[in-house]
Amino acid sequence: MASNPFTAEFLSQLEALRLRTRKEFLGSNTGSYSSPRRGTSLEFADYRRYTPGDDLRYIDWGIYARSDRLFVKVFRQEVDLFAYVFVDASASMAFPSREEKFLPASHVALALSYVILANQDHVKLHLLQNGSGKASQFYRGRRRMRDCVEFTSSASPGGKLELSSSLGEHLKRLRRPGKAILISDFLMPAASYQQGLNLLRAFNLDIVAIQVMSRSEVDPPFPNGSIALIDSENQNELKQQWNTKARRDYQSKLAHHNLEIRSFCHQSGIHYSFYVTDRDLGEFVFATLPAIGLFK
Amino acid sequence: MEFLNPTALFGLLALPLLLIPYLIRRKPRRLVFSSLLLFLESGAQASGRPLGRINLPPLFFLQLLFLFLLVAALSEPVFSVRPTNVAVIVDNSASMQALEDGTTRFALAKEKLGTVLDEVGTAGQVDVYLTTPRLAKLNATVLTPAQALGLVKNLQTYDLGDAVIDYDQAFSQLAQEQKYERIYFLTDHPTTGQTAATRVISVGQPKGNLAVTGFDVHRGSLLDARMQASVMVVNFSTREEKVKVSLKADGATLASRDLAVAAEKSATATFDGFAERPAYEAEIDTRDALPLDNHRFAVAPGSRNLRILVITPRPKAAASLRSIKGVNVDVISPAEYGKTDRTGYGLEIFHFSSPEQLPENPALFILPPESSSLVDLGPPTSNVQVSTWREPHGLTRYVNFSLFRPTYSRPLKPQTAGQVIIESPNGALAFAVEQRSTRYLTLGFDPLPYLGRENLPMSVFTLNVLDWFLESGGARSQATGEPIPLSSIDSGDSLTTPDGETITLKRGNGYFSATFHQGVYRRLHGGASEYFARNLDDLGESDLRTSAPVRLRGHSGNGASASVLFSFWPYLLLASFLLLLVEWFVFPRWATPRLGLASGGFRRGWRQLMSR
Repeated sequence: MASNPFTAEFLSQLEALRLRTRKEFLGSNTGSYSSPRRGTSLEFADYRRYTPGDDLRYIDWGIYARSDRLFVKVFRQEVDLFAYVFVDASASMAFPSREEKFLPASHVALALSYVILANQDHVKLHLLQNGSGKASQFYRGRRRMRDCVEFTSSASPGGKLELSSSLGEHLKRLRRPGKAILISDFLMPAASYQQGLNLLRAFNLDIVAIQVMSRSEVDPPFPNGSIALIDSENQNELKQQWNTKARRDYQSKLAHHNLEIRSFCHQSGIHYSFYVTDRDLGEFVFATLPAIGLFK
Repeated sequence: MEFLNPTALFGLLALPLLLIPYLIRRKPRRLVFSSLLLFLESGAQASGRPLGRINLPPLFFLQLLFLFLLVAALSEPVFSVRPTNVAVIVDNSASMQALEDGTTRFALAKEKLGTVLDEVGTAGQVDVYLTTPRLAKLNATVLTPAQALGLVKNLQTYDLGDAVIDYDQAFSQLAQEQKYERIYFLTDHPTTGQTAATRVISVGQPKGNLAVTGFDVHRGSLLDARMQASVMVVNFSTREEKVKVSLKADGATLASRDLAVAAEKSATATFDGFAERPAYEAEIDTRDALPLDNHRFAVAPGSRNLRILVITPRPKAAASLRSIKGVNVDVISPAEYGKTDRTGYGLEIFHFSSPEQLPENPALFILPPESSSLVDLGPPTSNVQVSTWREPHGLTRYVNFSLFRPTYSRPLKPQTAGQVIIESPNGALAFAVEQRSTRYLTLGFDPLPYLGRENLPMSVFTLNVLDWFLESGGARSQATGEPIPLSSIDSGDSLTTPDGETITLKRGNGYFSATFHQGVYRRLHGGASEYFARNLDDLGESDLRTSAPVRLRGHSGNGASASVLFSFWPYLLLASFLLLLVEWFVFPRWATPRLGLASGGFRRGWRQLMSR
């Protein structure tokens, strides 16, 4: 695993980015994201009939000249964004080691968090574990990046994850809709992750799904011969004859599994991206994620 | 196709052992993986069975083939062409009478011979040989296989031990001289180093056995008419046996004893006070492997009186022995010894004299003038004190050695295996030897003249000496094969064998040598009967647990025998080593990287090695 990628240059590059949302949310403060409410931004929204007391500066004098009726221009309100970053912290995220999978996943989460914090928006980190897991408070402003780092650093992946139930626990306490970023290996049955993503959709969140896998999972380095595989989450054991054919079969299954996730996300209006942890984080953040339309 | 060393084929039974390292190696390595989701989906690969599917690599089959070829090569396979000129050598020694599930080994050998002669074909020429009493051909003209089989079917074993034969040399010589293409040897001995031209067909398995190995009948003492007997039984097995020992004469049981014989030990049963009979039989009541040695025969001592021939330059000293009741003494000078007929004497006493060679009769040597094959003589000493004596022993019984002080003596230095009976600080004074059942005693002092009560310790010793020789006289039996001396044959003399066959003796026959069967031989001579006992006297025949193997070194130089055999085991050996080389290059597990064998196989092997 590479050393700490959060160099000054990397951070300054992140500051240039802004998350893109496909939905309008009710923010709490003025920000840079459009809100369904009318406000005072520069972005024109609609016209309405003049009523006494309206600010005369918003009267559209051109319409008055053509129709002899007074209309005032209504503008969109621009608000700040509430983002929720969900990081899978189950035992499978520690395979083959915490440094090779969970840490890169948390780096992705931190990079996206920094983008949000740099735009004076709100970010809240959630660790998805068996039960409810942990969640940070809302952070705002780039100075809170340290808190984000400490929060993710304190996490220790372990246990079995039921995505929908864990997400449900976190979403119970969610008050403001916003952008949800789910970072997981998605090594779970299709029904399970679909249920979880549908739950996020039900809360009117703009969802991004980032699938993280280590190189060892993409291309398992097992020796040929008889092996007994033990599931890191439920300790189930499976005996297997590992050879070239088995390797090809596994990779085919993985490709099919990933395609199913991608397909579901596409159909559900969810941004999806796949990150293998031996790739450069900068390349992923600055090339892959913009390509799927995550940034403006 | 035949195998010269078929024992090696048992190695094939060990081939499945090759699976063991593969089964151990294929014990699955336990590896933790993030999720088994995708493996479970490919369920066809997973196995719920404990051992899973046995998936053997090509290396296993390569090694299996290598081992198979190696075992096949070791068994020395040969393609044989049907031989036409063969010799059949049948072991007819006593041990071939041993029973194998109720059938004698000799009968089993005959059965196997039928199979063997089938190989020869009807056009074959066969000679039949027996091994005892010596290796000799039976047929004068060449036999057909059917004739040879008929001849062998009528053969019987002899109650003889194995003849001393260097089988390897003898077979080689036969093959060369008689141009035999193959020699079949049927025996109960195991074989080592079987050759292409010589086939040893072994019958019988090692087993325990009980044997009567000793049977002596003698008088109680010089003056006692009653008889004594001792029967020695040896247990050639690994467990204690209890047997009933019976003493028989004329078909009637005189006495019997129960005897326990420990494993691999001997025990002796003694019988006293029975009447004199011409011949006796000792029998043990057991159903063991070899019935032959459950019997032993002996004849009674020839006379109650001891006839002594004294050869001495001092006749007066020797004549004193006549004062002992039951002793007949003839005294001659040493010069007359060669001309004297010595038959019928129970003891020869050489007093200050010695013969050129050991006599056939038991002999007492008193202060021989020079060293002999039995003893060397030391310097003379006087009034020597006896320091040690063997006890209990018939020669030292009742002798008060504190009063036993010879005035003149010469210490003896034994030159052969025997027993020192009396010893002084300077050396032995009495040395006893028993050779071929004949007793010899050498004294380093002079017990003569016999003075009765005037020198009681010495007189007691002299009487013991006469008793000791009397013990061994008369009832002595000899081994089967030992000829019976036939002196002065008259017309009408005959000899009856143990089988009941009566043979008319002719003048000029000095010996009757066909004593191949155990038992009592009765000679009718001038209306009187003389008895001779012959017994199996070879412990090697009775000990059926270990037979000396027939060692064949295979230096038969007969080209004809090679022509009927094509030995291809060297090719198999070569093929197996080629396979070994292939295995080495394809799977070079023991190579090191420095060897530079950086082939794909090498890397794979190296990885396997490092992953263990």
